[in-house]
Amino acid sequence: MKLEALPWLILFLPLLAAVGITLFTLKNRERSAGLSIGAIVLGFVLTIFFIAVNGWEPVDKETVASWLEVEPLQVDFGLRLDPLCLMMLLIVTGVGGAIHIYSYGYMRDDPGVGRYFAGLSLFTFSMLGIVLANNFLQLFIFWELVGLSSYVLIGFWHERPSAAEASKKAFLTNRLGDFGFLLGILLVWDTFGTLHFSSIQVELIRNPAALGSLATIAGLLIFCGAVGKSAQFPLHVWLPDAMEGPTPVSALIHAATMVAAGVYMLCRVFFLLDLPDSHALEVIAWIGGITALLAALIATQQNDIKRILAYSTLSQLGYMVLAVGVASPAPAMYHLTTHAFFKALLFLGAGSVIHALHHEQDIWKMGALKSKMPVTFWTFLLASLALCGLPPLSGFFSKDEIIAATVNPEHGHPALFVLAVGVALLTTFYMSRLVLVAFFGPAKSHGVDHAHESPSVMTWPLLALAVPSVAGGFFGIAELYGHQLGEAHSGYHVLAVVASLGAVIFGFAFALGLYWNAAQDPLPEKLGALAEAARNRFYFDELYEATVIKFQEIAAAIADWFDQWIVAGLMVRGAHGATELFGRALRLVQTGNLQTYAFLFVLSAAVVLYFMIGR
Amino acid sequence: MTLALLVLLPFLAAIGLTFVPKENEGTPRIVALLTTFLGLLLGVRLFWQFDAGQTGYQFVTTIPGLGAEALGIHCRLGVDGINVGLLLMGAIVAFAATCVARDIGERAKEFYVLLLVMTGGILGAFASLDLFFFYFFHELALIPTFIMIGVWGRGEDKNYATFKITLYLSLGALIALFGLIALYLQMPPDQRTFDIPAITQYFAGQRMAARAQQLIFPALMFGFGILVSLWPFHTWAPLGYGAAPTATAMLHAGVLKKFGLYGLIRVAVPLMPDGAKQWLGVLALLCLGNILYCGLVAMRQKDLNLLIGNSSVAHMGFVFLGIASLNLIGITGAVVIMIAHGLLAAVSFALSGYLYQQTRTLEISRMGGLLQQVPFAGMALTMAMLAGCGLPGFANFVGESMVFFGAWKVFPVVTALACWGALIIGAVYMLRAVRSILHGPLPEDWKDLRDLSNLWRRLPFAVLLFTLLLFGFFPRLLTDKIRPSAETIVRMANGGSVGTRASNQVVQTGLVGEPRNEQRPLTPHPGPLPWGEGASIVAFRESGGTRIGETRAKVFPLPEGEGQGEGERDGGKSGRVNSPQGLSFAE
Repeated sequence: MKLEALPWLILFLPLLAAVGITLFTLKNRERSAGLSIGAIVLGFVLTIFFIAVNGWEPVDKETVASWLEVEPLQVDFGLRLDPLCLMMLLIVTGVGGAIHIYSYGYMRDDPGVGRYFAGLSLFTFSMLGIVLANNFLQLFIFWELVGLSSYVLIGFWHERPSAAEASKKAFLTNRLGDFGFLLGILLVWDTFGTLHFSSIQVELIRNPAALGSLATIAGLLIFCGAVGKSAQFPLHVWLPDAMEGPTPVSALIHAATMVAAGVYMLCRVFFLLDLPDSHALEVIAWIGGITALLAALIATQQNDIKRILAYSTLSQLGYMVLAVGVASPAPAMYHLTTHAFFKALLFLGAGSVIHALHHEQDIWKMGALKSKMPVTFWTFLLASLALCGLPPLSGFFSKDEIIAATVNPEHGHPALFVLAVGVALLTTFYMSRLVLVAFFGPAKSHGVDHAHESPSVMTWPLLALAVPSVAGGFFGIAELYGHQLGEAHSGYHVLAVVASLGAVIFGFAFALGLYWNAAQDPLPEKLGALAEAARNRFYFDELYEATVIKFQEIAAAIADWFDQWIVAGLMVRGAHGATELFGRALRLVQTGNLQTYAFLFVLSAAVVLYFMIGR
Repeated sequence: MTLALLVLLPFLAAIGLTFVPKENEGTPRIVALLTTFLGLLLGVRLFWQFDAGQTGYQFVTTIPGLGAEALGIHCRLGVDGINVGLLLMGAIVAFAATCVARDIGERAKEFYVLLLVMTGGILGAFASLDLFFFYFFHELALIPTFIMIGVWGRGEDKNYATFKITLYLSLGALIALFGLIALYLQMPPDQRTFDIPAITQYFAGQRMAARAQQLIFPALMFGFGILVSLWPFHTWAPLGYGAAPTATAMLHAGVLKKFGLYGLIRVAVPLMPDGAKQWLGVLALLCLGNILYCGLVAMRQKDLNLLIGNSSVAHMGFVFLGIASLNLIGITGAVVIMIAHGLLAAVSFALSGYLYQQTRTLEISRMGGLLQQVPFAGMALTMAMLAGCGLPGFANFVGESMVFFGAWKVFPVVTALACWGALIIGAVYMLRAVRSILHGPLPEDWKDLRDLSNLWRRLPFAVLLFTLLLFGFFPRLLTDKIRPSAETIVRMANGGSVGTRASNQVVQTGLVGEPRNEQRPLTPHPGPLPWGEGASIVAFRESGGTRIGETRAKVFPLPEGEGQGEGERDGGKSGRVNSPQGLSFAE
């Protein structure tokens, strides 16, 4: 078998698994799980094999099949294989594989296991498609399919109204972003006549002003896609609700991989954003910064363990987008990678806790889990420290590069630097709060007394993910990305290191002072309205409910009213009525009275004669 | 033979059925099933054997004895890229509709006779190469539609709905008939013919007077438009489908309705390019009525059938937009949507019919949690709804995205709004319906619903969804066949009005903003239309209207490298039979 066939196999294995499960093994949990896990693990092994044989640098290799060809629109179905792709392949299949295995333990007692694994495999297929896509439309296709699998998995427990609502909300919010994305794609295609990434890149190198005055708009429209998928402000509202899905789904889709797709896409098309006449990057940087700050603030006042992690994910995604905005895609991808490891680990750890406590998610009903669940505790702690950015854990290196990039005078801004450091402080604060309340101190409910460590099918994935979370800074990942996307702007690392370390220390000190052995949250009393606002997510949902959704509703109501009363009512019945009136008028003439007929006859004859002779 | 059989078989079966005595209750259904299944096989065979590399009509057959020799009316059938997919889709939908017609209790024999006549009429209308039979078969299919809604329909509004749909569709057909007759009369008496290829050839050589085009084109556009529920003539559709029996709704919404679109693409646009140039801007605006307005109306519907009906009206907007864009991508995309939507409408109405049969209600708020009780039907409905909001993987996505790509160059603002309709409004009402019908807790009332349990009952749904997925995953199966024929139509439709001279003038008028990126190589079509709505209209007006006096080379500027086009053929040697599009007698 030729080496080029391998990526195709890696891509389509999960689809085959999904189809196979749906058609044949939906009722059989072992076989369903086996197919799904087998597909992704095999994909992981094949990816490693491919990299081992082929190395990291087959940039010129693209395997292509024509998907649609109607001149002048040409859409390929092609696989692009550069270091960026290959690394993402490893993350998706590796982290995904661990989560698949973990799911087998977590979902063991659910009657819908078959459907669950079919959904997971469909997701893996779509995500791999995004990673490997070599053109815009293919990317968009898988982009939508990822949205679909997210919809299916968030709404996995569809009989719960909250889960059903959350899945609908996620899909629709993503669609809002995709609307802009599609317009961006149309614009790019109209300008360049091609959808192919490399061709566009070549064209832009030849003529950086090809987009002319549309450069900023095109960049921002494309960015819309990332805003939806990576849940950036103002479309961030769907991600916390997405936690209604099973916890492994939250780990895989809404923390490690899918939400990172937006950032990945921005790095993939970075050549379109970083143009001389484009101001798109500035907007992107600020949107990322605002998201990071908002989400971190909200996270400090959440009590649901998964929601804290969800807002933390939002905040970290904000970091990545911020990094892209300050023209540093390599650090963004680096942070994406390390974040995938430790955030997946955090969610799986949270899942382990939730599993042990019989679906209790309130951290104020936990406590003292340190000794009850040692494996979960230690891995969770390591992942938290990595997220806070404690050296020499993986998160330290990646976050440090982003903070350093914000100082860069060319693209950075002092305000962005302050923002990034502030968010680092908040990150340490809310993660310390979470760990201190949930794992330390006294037991806060009876459920804790019966808690015990999860089975090994769930703890092994935790241990496996802990390794890269700890040591992710030493694998040369940064160099790999730097080689393709351009080296990070170094030279400010000292300042960044000092600032971020300071942030970690202060953040931890605050949290320790407030939450050591605390039985309830002291912060609402101290901060008052701000804490209240943070707890209510700064009222974004209410705001959208009152504006965007209301507006669409009113438009629909008006259209419906118009349809019923004007178009169908007045016009149709009016036409009907007019015809009938005409008929009645004619009936007046048909009197049956001979004299009337004679009169009409003479009259008509006179008229005809007038026209024939008189004129 | 294949084509003739495909069209004639349902009629023969219908005639045969009338002789079956009343006592044989099972026979009509079995005969209908066998006939439509055979039709399905023939449709697949036709599609399979169709040679995409060849332009012009294939499988051309004349059915002897039908028609009137003296008047020059022959029942001639043939397929090209435009109708081959439609015929396949029609055959599939006809089979599926017969499968799900099992709930017809009373007067089953009459029902199946009408269903078969309708099927034959539909397939005949799409396959006819003769203007008379093109129209005649459509009428032949319409009449059973009215009767079926009137007799076997459901709901309180049944009579009003029947009345309304009859009135509207007859009116639309009548206006279209006026247009077609006027078109026929535009040919000089000694050259008049009903043969569509010959007519096409005639008008390719001898352009119709611009004045006539400007009058006849709107007649066809609105006449055919009413048949396709063009806004604001759409109100018959949701109501009619709501009242229609399932099989009728499937066949009409899925297949018969596409006749109007087919007529636009086959007759109106290529024969009257100047009329098209002037009126397609209007069509592009009206299509927003379908996409946005009817989409919004669909959001408010409380009855599942009305929702599907409104969404079906909304989807027609994308086809109109594709036609209005008048370029290869747009027209090809329009044909793809016609096929995809036919399958989608069929599966949607089949599912709502199934739910109605089980629950005796279609009120969305009364349902809920059905996915737990009827997992197969629920999953099929979810898939149909997702296909309806343009999810990739289904053929609808292929068509809609092609229309967007095609229309973007000509009508950027309209296209952006249409994208909003497709991505947002469509998703809102589809997902809301899924949420309230399938998700959530299961009410007590529906604890004893039965799912589509055996393979046989699942078959029609599986076939429809499978075809949607097949064309969604491998769109070239369709587009490669459509493209050569669409190319011919686009070339005729762009015969002369959008020349270089015209576009230069447009730039000078400054009406349409800056010319964009002048370095871009000019593609053969869509011509160098600048940024702005209705540019083509402006272009036409600025260029001084008619171009009859110009030489043919100017009227039909063939792009370089393009070879045997419509306009280049030697018109002299071809008689009535040997028609311009290179008839190939495959059988």
